[in-house]
Amino acid sequence: MTRHKCSSSRTVGGLEPGLETFAGFFERWLQEQERDLQDLIRVAKSDSESTQSVAELVNRVMGHYSNYYRVKSESSKHNACEMLTPAWRSHLEDAFLWIGGWRPSMAFHLLYSKSGLQLEAGLTELLAGLSTGDLGDLSARQLARVDELHRHTVREEKELTEKMAAHQETVADSSMVQLSHVVTELMHGGDSGNGTESVDQRVNSALVSKEEGLEQILGKADDLRLKTLKKVVDILSPIQAVHFLIAAAELHLRVHEWGRKKDAQAKESTKPTKIC
Amino acid sequence: MAEICCGVVSDGESAAAAGGCETNSSRAARRRRVEIRGFKFVTAAMASGSSESAETKRQRMEISSLSRECDKAVERLVISDCERENSSGVEDDKDKEITLYQSPILSVKSLGLSSTTSLLNIQAFNVVPKFGVASVCGRRRDMEDAVAVHPSFIRPENDADSEFHYFAVYDGHGCSHVAMRCRDRLHELVKEEVLSKEASLEWKLAMWRSFDRMDKEVIAWNEGVVGNCRCELRTPECDAVGSTAVVAIVTPQKIIVANCGDSRAVLCRNGKAVPLSADHKPDRPDELNRIQEAGGRVIYWDGPRVLGVLAMSRAIGDNYLKPYVSCEPEVTVTDRTAEDDCLILASDGLWDVVSNDTACGVAKMCLRGKMRVAPPTTAPVEVDGVAEGAADKACSDASMLLTKLALARHSTDNVSVVVIDLRRKKNVN
Repeated sequence: MTRHKCSSSRTVGGLEPGLETFAGFFERWLQEQERDLQDLIRVAKSDSESTQSVAELVNRVMGHYSNYYRVKSESSKHNACEMLTPAWRSHLEDAFLWIGGWRPSMAFHLLYSKSGLQLEAGLTELLAGLSTGDLGDLSARQLARVDELHRHTVREEKELTEKMAAHQETVADSSMVQLSHVVTELMHGGDSGNGTESVDQRVNSALVSKEEGLEQILGKADDLRLKTLKKVVDILSPIQAVHFLIAAAELHLRVHEWGRKKDAQAKESTKPTKIC
Repeated sequence: MAEICCGVVSDGESAAAAGGCETNSSRAARRRRVEIRGFKFVTAAMASGSSESAETKRQRMEISSLSRECDKAVERLVISDCERENSSGVEDDKDKEITLYQSPILSVKSLGLSSTTSLLNIQAFNVVPKFGVASVCGRRRDMEDAVAVHPSFIRPENDADSEFHYFAVYDGHGCSHVAMRCRDRLHELVKEEVLSKEASLEWKLAMWRSFDRMDKEVIAWNEGVVGNCRCELRTPECDAVGSTAVVAIVTPQKIIVANCGDSRAVLCRNGKAVPLSADHKPDRPDELNRIQEAGGRVIYWDGPRVLGVLAMSRAIGDNYLKPYVSCEPEVTVTDRTAEDDCLILASDGLWDVVSNDTACGVAKMCLRGKMRVAPPTTAPVEVDGVAEGAADKACSDASMLLTKLALARHSTDNVSVVVIDLRRKKNVN
């Protein structure tokens, strides 16, 4: 585990110097998540790990998530639009994105699904007098806290959705409509000299303000994602958190792969028509 | 299967009783012992039960595991006064939503009434029944369930020993505000109706009148709604909001259940599930008749629905579906017996995925389990300044476990469960 700690913190620190794209970083992040997943699985299967070392692993994995969102936030400053329509994601993932990432309330469905599966699957251990030591063990107090967090998260998610809606509607605000009209007139009038420069400036500044709005909303959405993840993990015991993080990584990595595969197949099937 | 499993636990119980007063230190050992028995029992049953269906076995295993689960849940629940403060708005109210309650009998206990002698001598039916509540949003995006618990909501004069206790589950649809109004008001209306007819109390009439008044209040309130709840976004359709209501009034002698909609009350008596209410579904033959006679239709659109809209045939609110959707409750009055274990009230989030029998089995196991772990002679445990009685915790565990089971079985709805302990306190001497 220590070996992994060193290697992973070396490989995925942030964007590598020399203008690495976020897409490149994302690929390395996937590899890191896969390594984390292996560590988590090993700890989940081992019964000799001390609570402290389990907690350390959870902290390390959470640190990786924090780092991911730090780099993502850095990148959004340069290009929020690109971050909202991530080319490094498959179409399948794309279709399920909420403001450039996973929907925060999904964390609770993930927890309920995994917890439910472990409640039913842990029967043999339970019958043998062993503790399931996983999410099947969720206590009443934990479930109450999860429920409270769930409602809070859904509320925040709805507020952000509304914010995004309001911002999207500004694409048709007066200045944009006026600008698009002015530019069209200029094109049709064949007037390529007079006033074009100032119009270009106006267009630029209009688009910059739109992008700034997007960057702000994306930042809030990513904050909510990371906050939700942290709060769920805080409610759980270290070993429960391990199981939760395993489920999260498995779902993320596998859905990404399935999506990639689907995209590759779709590309394959369209090839002949392109040749013709 | 529940009875057989309980038999195993009972063995543990009698062994404990034979051993006399038990200390905390021996509890863990005893728990292990009982677990091992449970294990052996199931193994034996599985080995010999070649003629049994897989389903029966599965259920038995489930119950056994759940009893283990009960033992393990030792964390304190969120404890709150069940009486809610008045709050300004529905949305506001949601913030304060409390998901778990425990019986206020806790405070009584801390006053010293739980001393061994008083517990042993009090006529069991005359004390506030112990209860537990769990209510979660689950896999829904909105919480539309509400729970009301009002122990001793009616104290007949000159007769302190015959208090009435109020328990209810409301499952809203369209928005949460009708369910919230029911939670805040229905027990008051029931109280008024009961007190006004004290001399010649006719339960059916009193409940019918209470529900009718509640319905009228909700409709009047809808018309002047100024709240900021979700349905405000589509104001003209505020009429399309309603709620189920299953109300149980527990008196020293009787259990009165009034039901409107598809929430349900189930009595666990002698290990068997006895439903005290019948769900109002549009395809129930008598309901279908009633709807058609009133000029309405039941259309199958993702299941049978009144006018193709509402998947239940009775509800409070839903003004635009009147009179096809009625607010008239069906009322059952049941005499309490010594064989009653507990009463379970729950929204369809539970009943859609957990059968009456399974629910009773789980609840009974939890109640039995706790009696075993902490006999009445044990002093209440002090946690964060609140004296916690073992049996109350058992009820809360039972309600929470049923909730977890519903979530595990992919319930997609809000889940609300109230478990009320109806057992007589036996003289342990």
